[in-house]
Amino acid sequence: MSHLLDSLSTELRRGTLTLAVLSQLQTQQYGYSLVQSLEKSGIVIEQSTLYPLLRRLEKQELVKSMWDTTESRPRKYYLLTDYGTEVYEQLKEEWIKNSKELYKLLEGDQRDGFN
Amino acid sequence: MDLIDVYIYEVTRRLPIKNREDIGLELKSTIEDMLPDGYTEEDVKVALGELGNPAILASGYNERPMHLIGPKYFDIYVSLLKMIVPIAAVISFIVVLTKYIVEFDKGDTVLNVGIVVLGEGIWSVIHVFMQVFFWLTLTFVILERTDQSKDKLPRTMSFNKWTPEDLENIPYVPKERMITKGYVFASLLWTSIWGTVYFNADHLVGVYKNSGGGLEFIMPAFNQHVMDSFGPVIIVVLGLEIVFALILFINNEWTKKLAILNTVRETVGLIVLAFLIVNPNFFHPEFLSYMSGNLEMPEGQIRNYVIGATLVLYAVSSIMNCISGFRKANR
Repeated sequence: MSHLLDSLSTELRRGTLTLAVLSQLQTQQYGYSLVQSLEKSGIVIEQSTLYPLLRRLEKQELVKSMWDTTESRPRKYYLLTDYGTEVYEQLKEEWIKNSKELYKLLEGDQRDGFN
Repeated sequence: MDLIDVYIYEVTRRLPIKNREDIGLELKSTIEDMLPDGYTEEDVKVALGELGNPAILASGYNERPMHLIGPKYFDIYVSLLKMIVPIAAVISFIVVLTKYIVEFDKGDTVLNVGIVVLGEGIWSVIHVFMQVFFWLTLTFVILERTDQSKDKLPRTMSFNKWTPEDLENIPYVPKERMITKGYVFASLLWTSIWGTVYFNADHLVGVYKNSGGGLEFIMPAFNQHVMDSFGPVIIVVLGLEIVFALILFINNEWTKKLAILNTVRETVGLIVLAFLIVNPNFFHPEFLSYMSGNLEMPEGQIRNYVIGATLVLYAVSSIMNCISGFRKANR
């Protein structure tokens, strides 16, 4: 039961990860700082999922990256491109619309439960 | 050896060469970010544990699929396998069988040859299965990796996306009218057996005697010269049976037309058999005298009994076969 619940909720979360990552890249971030800022907002993401996802977003030209070698350790920073910002805004609207609809559905379900 | 370097090596060795350096550098900086100042080996292990199995991380970076055949092609792959394997297996078994019957040596016993045929037949079926399985799988594995199209929708047998129009091409056959593959293969098997036996009757069909070490062939029952003189006609009959089996295989449903064709085939078979068996020299004289000695009956009477019984039995089974064809077609 709990195993099934786990896999179902992982499935629910999976689709939202891209949106969550895009939202954090409006300011530039490096890999580990992104993990930390996501975790602070309560979003758990496997690091083995995140880093490949960043590269995929870069390949899709939603995100650009640059190496910063000025500090003691070189770090790779990621930032939304203009195209990425555009896509992010649309995706955000889509998500808000979807969750409102789903919320209505779930609220209705609860009302029926009380009757 | 530094654990971090080993971990990075374990990831990058699974990646395309052109990406290795960049991803390696990225990973190194990420891992170092995760570690506190003045870290110990324990800290490194915790950090690497969070990153998880290098193979999984690498597969995330790789665009290549982590499966041989994915959902897009799996159904069509299994369908083709189910279609090709039985046909290939039956053909290879028939080839083995034919080879042994043709090469049948007078000194050998039927039982021994039967065991060898069964053994080698099974072996060749396994062999063919492995060949088909390997090459078909390889083809689909390559297809899966070379397919550049983005969509992952499963394909139908026409290699296109499914549409409702596909339903029009599905031959829906009620169970009562269906021609099973087993029926077709059985009739092909039967054709190949009687065909090879016919042309080798002089050392296959006749009197066998138990001589301690197995069955020994003593004398043939029929005159091979007479049988061979019927050769061209028999080849026509064989061809007719094979063509009919193929027609059944393609149609996979009994229809009135097929039932009529079946009746024609049976009738031709019966007429040829009748002409052959009443030929005065068909039975080997040696065989007739041997039988008459054993059964204490005149040779002519034995010959008449055999002819009568064969024709009646053959006719009855033919008629039953024809009727069954029509009955299936009319359901």
